[in-house]
Amino acid sequence: MQSLLLYLAIGALVGYFLSMINKRLGPIVLLALSLYGLFTLWNMPIGSVEDLFGFEDILQFTALSKYFSIITLIVFSCYAFFNIVWISKAKRPYAFSALSILTLFGTLGVFLTPHLIALYIFWEVAVVASLFIVPMGKEESKKATIWYIVISSIGSYMFLYGTFLLYSKFGTFNLFEISGDIASEGTGFKWLVSLLLLGAGVAKSGIFPLHVWLRNVHGNAPDTFSAVLSGQLVKMGSYIIALFLGAFPIATMFSQFYAGVNIFSYVLIWLGNISILIGTFMAIKQNDMKMLMAYSTVANGGYILIGLALLDQVGFAGGLFHVINHALAATMIFLSFAAVVYRTGTTKIDEMGGLIFKMPVTFVTYLVGIISIAGIPPTSGFVSKWMIFQSLISKGMFVTAMFTFVGSIGSFLYVFRPLAGVFLGQLKRKDKDVKEAPMIMLLPMIILVALTILWGVFPQQVLVWVTDVQRQFGMEPFKFDGTVLYSNLGHWDSWTVFVMFMVGFIIAAVIYILMPKGKKIPLDDQYTSGEFLHNFDLYHYATKYYAFLEREYEGHPSFEDWYTSIVNVLKAIGKGVDYLVRRTASAYTFWMALVLALLLWVRW
Amino acid sequence: MTVLKVAGIFLTAFFFGLTFEGIGRKITARVQRRYGPRWYQNFIDLFKTLSKHGYTHGWIFDFGVIMALGGIIASLGFVPVGGIVAFPGMDNFFVIVYLFTIGSLGMAMGMVGTGNPWASIGVARALTLMLGYEVPYMISIGSMLYFYRTSSISAIMSAQGGDWNLFKFPIGALVALISLQGMLGKEPFEAPIAPAEIASGPMVELSAKYMGLLMLMNTFMEFAEISLFVDLFLGGGTYFVFLLKYLVVWVLVVLISSVLPRFRIEQAVYFYWTVPIILAFVQVFMTVNGFVF
Repeated sequence: MQSLLLYLAIGALVGYFLSMINKRLGPIVLLALSLYGLFTLWNMPIGSVEDLFGFEDILQFTALSKYFSIITLIVFSCYAFFNIVWISKAKRPYAFSALSILTLFGTLGVFLTPHLIALYIFWEVAVVASLFIVPMGKEESKKATIWYIVISSIGSYMFLYGTFLLYSKFGTFNLFEISGDIASEGTGFKWLVSLLLLGAGVAKSGIFPLHVWLRNVHGNAPDTFSAVLSGQLVKMGSYIIALFLGAFPIATMFSQFYAGVNIFSYVLIWLGNISILIGTFMAIKQNDMKMLMAYSTVANGGYILIGLALLDQVGFAGGLFHVINHALAATMIFLSFAAVVYRTGTTKIDEMGGLIFKMPVTFVTYLVGIISIAGIPPTSGFVSKWMIFQSLISKGMFVTAMFTFVGSIGSFLYVFRPLAGVFLGQLKRKDKDVKEAPMIMLLPMIILVALTILWGVFPQQVLVWVTDVQRQFGMEPFKFDGTVLYSNLGHWDSWTVFVMFMVGFIIAAVIYILMPKGKKIPLDDQYTSGEFLHNFDLYHYATKYYAFLEREYEGHPSFEDWYTSIVNVLKAIGKGVDYLVRRTASAYTFWMALVLALLLWVRW
Repeated sequence: MTVLKVAGIFLTAFFFGLTFEGIGRKITARVQRRYGPRWYQNFIDLFKTLSKHGYTHGWIFDFGVIMALGGIIASLGFVPVGGIVAFPGMDNFFVIVYLFTIGSLGMAMGMVGTGNPWASIGVARALTLMLGYEVPYMISIGSMLYFYRTSSISAIMSAQGGDWNLFKFPIGALVALISLQGMLGKEPFEAPIAPAEIASGPMVELSAKYMGLLMLMNTFMEFAEISLFVDLFLGGGTYFVFLLKYLVVWVLVVLISSVLPRFRIEQAVYFYWTVPIILAFVQVFMTVNGFVF
């Protein structure tokens, strides 16, 4: 582990200088390092302990480390592969490559250590490295960076303060040593420490009320980096949540509230509920496809949080499984968007249309991605949704179940918007000469598609990792037997479902083939209600796709506006101070008057 | 044996689904004081459309149609039809609900792939309506899954015995019936199709065999949805008893639809998110606290 981290740290420098020779070498270095890391960590036995830079036993390879590292490295490998071509469009390719490698270094470090200070340092490395990549995106990305840094620092300072509180009580930074003793502390201390430590996770994984940075940052960051942001950096927050909920004896630390769920978990579950609601309904009304997926990340962060906070056999496993699903799906979707932007140069949904006939592979990637996000079998997205639903229903938590249902059905709505607006419908005249993305870009997307379907039909491999984590935290592991998954509310078999799916598909295809062949007509040969159309660019329904639904919640309160108004108050105070310290006659008069008044008052 | 059972379900859905649709058309006609078509008119329509040369708008249109029918056929296989249970224990409620969406997604994708904005509007409305009816439906069924401690449809079906869930969970059954009306796209929840308003919405560009395939899909979908209701609330029963119960529910749905006008889409969603959701939570409250008759 130490050597891997060292290679990554050196790799960042090497990548920077090699990029100067040829831009494409930077991503190649990252790809090589990610694949090397994937190979090493996949084969590493759980429980290995190593020193880091002479500090003893800092690095510890737990089941949770393994699971999250593998997700990270898969995402980064695909990202690096994709970048080999895409890098030609990057604004500062050298720094971009070097900082990407540094981000990987930071996140892997976070996953590999239970030492809280080391974890904090790695965390900040990841945040800072990604922080400098974000402003390389669109025009507004510089402003987005400010959102990112502010919310990230709220989270990380909360984390740091919690760490010091723990150190002052227990005299150690090792999380697993602390977790054994914490249950006997006072209630106030337990609440404070748990909230502070989880604050970092909440901020990073885009949970309400710290979800506001995702729209700006995911929407404006460089196109491929959005994939890493949503597919991987946000999962760092989920890792923190999973780590603390798992390692701390949460169930005995806090009192029971309802259906065997303790009060602290219940608070988290409600945060998850609100995140799902906000993420879903805000995603429905976005016209920018990247911002739409950013809000989808908020909603899925809510799912993960609900699953993890349930802390039981099925729900916790579902939350963990959802991490890998969302990581793969978000990476797929953002990479396909990056390919679209690479060819068309816009992210606005209503400025595109009909790209399916020009970019079929990109379309298929997006399609499988959204099928997984929407949780439809036979992709892996369904497995985790099923687990979370089963757990919620068996506990009788119907209000939370309602939120998850709304999020799940709502996801059909928002994922369909780019599908209809960008890929289907009328092809715009300006896009007549658009070509499919280059082969190098398509390959990582195809790999992700294959993985999503593979783990949807044969989820055993992921379930082994997930149950290892549950065993490590002393939970009852999720029960499965081959492709048959069990919960306390019954079971299902992903293989049977897949076979039935194929059977249905084959029957439909046979009927289709047997019947007389249809004649192909162009897209502008349409029913037009009797109108004679000259410009088919306009015969495309993409603007305000769900106008009738958006109207229903038009005047909703916005946390983004609320935070902006706080900023404005601060700015006004700053302006006032600024005004008073400027060398103007009125400022002098003010201070003079103040001093005189003080003098008079004192002398009195 | 499983293969035979699945085939039996498909054939039942095909013959009785189409027959009952024909009867439904007749009933609507009589309510509206028309004579109406013959009961086997839907068979004629299906075979006629399937046998003609149509027009296609490219591969996604073809693929969407196949995916729509394929997805519905796949989910139909998991639905218990009276005594015929193809996958006992494996007919998980959530699996069936989510398998359905493959078909809907395929249809939506293929139809929007024609490039006609009326289709897009229809699909947008259909998805919005789905957001309306699915949530109360899943909550009310969820309370039953909680009560029986299983999410297997056949297990719930057989657990009822002669004691129907319709009487054990009366409010839940009402919610499910209201949702069923939306699922089937019958008035008053007919906005996604709305022939006179948005030119039949998703179906605007369909011709010949594409129309036929989607008619078949629609039949299967209706069959599966009503079967689920009969299994869950009316206790399933043997083959012919099941079909009789099915017919009763179907006639009820048709009668309701034949006398009602159409809701605007936002009115429909607003309705679903007020009355049925509140009723569903009343049912949940009763179930969790043990008030089951």
